Amino acid sequence: MISEEIEKLKKEVWENFEKIQDLSHLENFRVKYLGKKGKITFLLKSLKDLSLEEKRRLGKELNELRDQLERKLKIKEREILFKEEDKDLGLDLTLPGRSFSVGTLHPLSQVIGELCDIFSRLGFEIVTGPEIETEYYNFTALNIPDWHPARDMQATFYLKNGALLRTHTSPMQIRTMLERKPPLRIIAPGKVYRCDADVRHSPMFHQLEGLMVDKDVSFADLKGVLTYFAKETFGKKTRVRFRPSYFPFTEPSLEMDIECVICKGKGCRVCGEAGWLEILGAGMVHPEVFNAVNYDTETWQGFAFGLGIERITMIKYGIDDIRMFFENHLSFLQSFK
Amino acid sequence: MKVPISWLSEFIELKESPERIAEILTIGGVEVEAIENPYENLGDLIAVKILEVYEPEDLKDLVLCKVTDGKETYTVLTTAKKQVKPNLIVGLAKPESFTFSGEKVEVKAVKKFKSYGMFLSPYEAGLGEEKEKLLVLPENAPLGESIYKILGISEKVLDLAITPNRGDLLSILGVAREIHTLTSWEFNPPNFENAIKTGEKFPGKIEILDKDGCFRYAGRFFGNIKVKESPFYIQKRLWLCGLRPINNIVDITNYVLLELGQPLHAFDWEKIEDKTILIRKAYPGEKLLMLDGVERTFTEEDLVIADAKKPMVLAGIMGGEESGVSENTKNIFLESAWFNQKRIRKSSQRHRITTESSYRFERNIDPEGVVLGLLRASELISKIAEPEILSEIVDVYPKHFIPPQISLFNQKLTKYLGFSIPSEEVEKILKKIGQVRRSGYGFQFIPFSYRQDLRIPEDLVEEVARIYGYDKIPSSFPRSTLHCQSPSKILIFEKKLKDILKSLGFSEVITYSFIDPKTLEKLNLEKNDPRLNFIELANPLSSNQSIMRTTLIPGLIETACFNFFREVNSLKIFEIGKIFLPTEDLLAKEPLYLGILLMGNTNKETWYENLRKFDIYDLKGYLASLFEILKVNVDFKPYSSETFLKRGVSFDLYLDGEKIGFAGEMKNLVLKEFDLKTCVFIAEINLQSLFEKIETLEKEFIVKKPPKYPSTFRDVTCIIKKQIKIKEILDFVKTLSIPYLEAVDCIKIYEGSPIPEGEKSITIRFWYRAEDRTLKDKEVNEIQDSVAKKIFERFSAKPR
Repeated sequence: MISEEIEKLKKEVWENFEKIQDLSHLENFRVKYLGKKGKITFLLKSLKDLSLEEKRRLGKELNELRDQLERKLKIKEREILFKEEDKDLGLDLTLPGRSFSVGTLHPLSQVIGELCDIFSRLGFEIVTGPEIETEYYNFTALNIPDWHPARDMQATFYLKNGALLRTHTSPMQIRTMLERKPPLRIIAPGKVYRCDADVRHSPMFHQLEGLMVDKDVSFADLKGVLTYFAKETFGKKTRVRFRPSYFPFTEPSLEMDIECVICKGKGCRVCGEAGWLEILGAGMVHPEVFNAVNYDTETWQGFAFGLGIERITMIKYGIDDIRMFFENHLSFLQSFK
Repeated sequence: MKVPISWLSEFIELKESPERIAEILTIGGVEVEAIENPYENLGDLIAVKILEVYEPEDLKDLVLCKVTDGKETYTVLTTAKKQVKPNLIVGLAKPESFTFSGEKVEVKAVKKFKSYGMFLSPYEAGLGEEKEKLLVLPENAPLGESIYKILGISEKVLDLAITPNRGDLLSILGVAREIHTLTSWEFNPPNFENAIKTGEKFPGKIEILDKDGCFRYAGRFFGNIKVKESPFYIQKRLWLCGLRPINNIVDITNYVLLELGQPLHAFDWEKIEDKTILIRKAYPGEKLLMLDGVERTFTEEDLVIADAKKPMVLAGIMGGEESGVSENTKNIFLESAWFNQKRIRKSSQRHRITTESSYRFERNIDPEGVVLGLLRASELISKIAEPEILSEIVDVYPKHFIPPQISLFNQKLTKYLGFSIPSEEVEKILKKIGQVRRSGYGFQFIPFSYRQDLRIPEDLVEEVARIYGYDKIPSSFPRSTLHCQSPSKILIFEKKLKDILKSLGFSEVITYSFIDPKTLEKLNLEKNDPRLNFIELANPLSSNQSIMRTTLIPGLIETACFNFFREVNSLKIFEIGKIFLPTEDLLAKEPLYLGILLMGNTNKETWYENLRKFDIYDLKGYLASLFEILKVNVDFKPYSSETFLKRGVSFDLYLDGEKIGFAGEMKNLVLKEFDLKTCVFIAEINLQSLFEKIETLEKEFIVKKPPKYPSTFRDVTCIIKKQIKIKEILDFVKTLSIPYLEAVDCIKIYEGSPIPEGEKSITIRFWYRAEDRTLKDKEVNEIQDSVAKKIFERFSAKPR
């Protein structure tokens, strides 16, 4: 009879267990069956009058039931507690999050950084130098004597003492070569100045100069290095072309164009219907420049290039007014986060 | 340099469209900046139909026409009384357009009648000689359409950017020759076989006195010429090239200059004293009233063409007013010369004059083209100005031009290009630009006389590569030995600073290196402040960019202004850049500086936060973080002596006993003078000094192990006199050598009721920790009690 009662109790216990919904339910259930006066406890107590064998058999059965129930209740309780925390209606999460002020580097700094990284990968070392220069470093040593019409290409700011604001980063070629022995591979980013001011010209802007001197670095190598730079900067699919040009300090000289990023070469207002955008000037170092720094032109040859940081930044980000870089409107700066 | 396609095609058979020709030139190194259509550039020159013709009484010679362009009707006044009639379709230049003669059309009013444009003659339309006739268009011409579209007339002009080395391309002939070089299309150079080479004896005397200034001087006398307007085709070609017609003689000199690149100058023979033409150095102080109406004073470095008494022309640059050709001129002397490019350049720079002529001489002309230019002009003058007398040509050419001989070795070419071009190909290319002879392992080359830019083997490398095609030379990567140098430490330092400031939420700005001296005045600096010893530009674009900055502050404040007036109420910016200080030397000192500026509010007003304005503790906090990351112990010394900062809200920054900068709130008065109506906090640090100090102080940095045992803290809260500074208390605490004390800081300050006036309540927190065990409450309490007692005694504090 007790065994029947046990069977009945088992059925009842599991039926009721399934009905447990919340913590108070669970507590009632625990008291009802496992408490000091609970049904399982009661039955366990009532076993004392039975035979030893029955006591052992039924006692085992009841103890197993109790243990199983206790385990399951623990799991159940955890489940309920987990669900409990989801009961909240939820906050108005359409409100904006708290904002943090995020700083940003100037777009020109960012682009200079990118270019330095690109050329560093090719083993170019970064050097810097003075922005106030002498005629000698800025012009004469670069094969631009004072009578040379090429001086018209660069409208120069002079200082009252006869020095000048460098019109390009090319003086760094001379400074580096005078300081060091070949071979060398340098880039020199920095500010340069020309008396020119409109939507496309700023009296102060930035350039990056490159110079490589070695025993047999060639025109073909120059093309290779510049093509790598263009693809790294404007994307792997960028097409480039090289045009002959003239700079007094390189021979042969070239200019590199990239396919217009706006119209992809079809011709648009940005590229003046040409389909190409001029990116930089370069060439093989002119023997007169090597003579100025006492490099033996029989042994050494090299290439140099110079590019405008503003121009590259403008092309990259579709900026049509160079003055924006130096007005520093916060929203302009912050768009480069 | 403007090159009309129609003129170009006289010298070369053009086998492609203007667009394609432009591409060929550009890829060949002659950049075509634009393909222009000068007719279109004139503006709205359109077909209109005359609807009605009125002859108001009080308008005398004028009639008033009502016309339509198909959409609108206007009134137009015209003198062509006899030619206008209803239903006639004519050309109208609308207001804002230009006519061939260069006149800008505007709305005109005569009495109460208004004229919305001008009827065109064939001449004003740039189509023919007739000036009096009306340009009448076909009956079926669509109204409102451009007259040039209706007549099917178009002129394309290439606008070339010629590099300074290629003076030989500054002519139609030169460009034709270049196209021939690049394409091998058939070239028809001008033919001088039938030119008039001889004539009567030259009635004057020519002498080159300055043989360094003038290498060749040729000339010819023309007697009894007729100075008048040029025929239309000459005028049109000048117009297509952007020049104005003047009279037939001047126009011919310009025409030949454009066509052959040889500058010419015509003198009024009667104005030449003693019929003597001298090419000489100017006498110092010698003056000449020149064609642009300016009287210039010469120096000995200037080269002049003079007669027996006076200078007549600044050689190769510009003529004098008196000796020039006028309507009354009967006899002329025509000059064609080759001057020293350097001398012309220097004179033109010194006197700030650039003319078509000086531009060409500076870039050097073809020495062998001097007489050809004269022959071409003679031909045109004979045809157009009807001279009765032509003299022989006088050609003073003391030392003949000898072109250089250049050796180009195959090995050099290949090593330079990194690519080998077959010798036959190289020879073919070189033959286009000079005389070539194969010799041993390369070529002996003599450039044609017009290629004055070819001097050294490298020039030939470029020519070969260029004509062969840059794009046909493959790309490769350099093969080179690795040679690694340590990167520049200050560059790394600069980058680190930028990254720190960015992570603290600052935006980087870049401002101009030149500033307005007035902005320094606004800072109210002491008279002997080194920042007032600045470097001035000799030729600034404007006074507000006329000196090199000696501090970053003006640039930062102006950036703040720019933003403030564009509704930016919260600004947190920095700039790292050089300032410029004069030295004994030509070059300046250019130390790197850091400037920091905070303006307005720290935040935006939001649902979770009220507005708060920046204060000095924000600035101090940012700087402290910066120095903490840099691991330097910078001393914030109140108060700064900078005149533009509010004394009570400012610090000088000291490192290792040296002032490296300052920080503080800008004075309201200074901000007011910058028109800035908000509060601004600013700091400036000499990064050069900071960097050098850090380099010398550099200590090895060893990481501390995180503590094993817990810390515990105790607070002291007390009321003290208001003027006692927290640092005094903290410094006092330091002197007490408190055991187990790990850190101490002020965590609360309160002033106001119920604290009595002139006093403040402060809470100081002490953290204790032992390295080897957990401290017991009792021992900490004992330590803390004694510390508190000492503080109360020392600062006469009262308990709260």
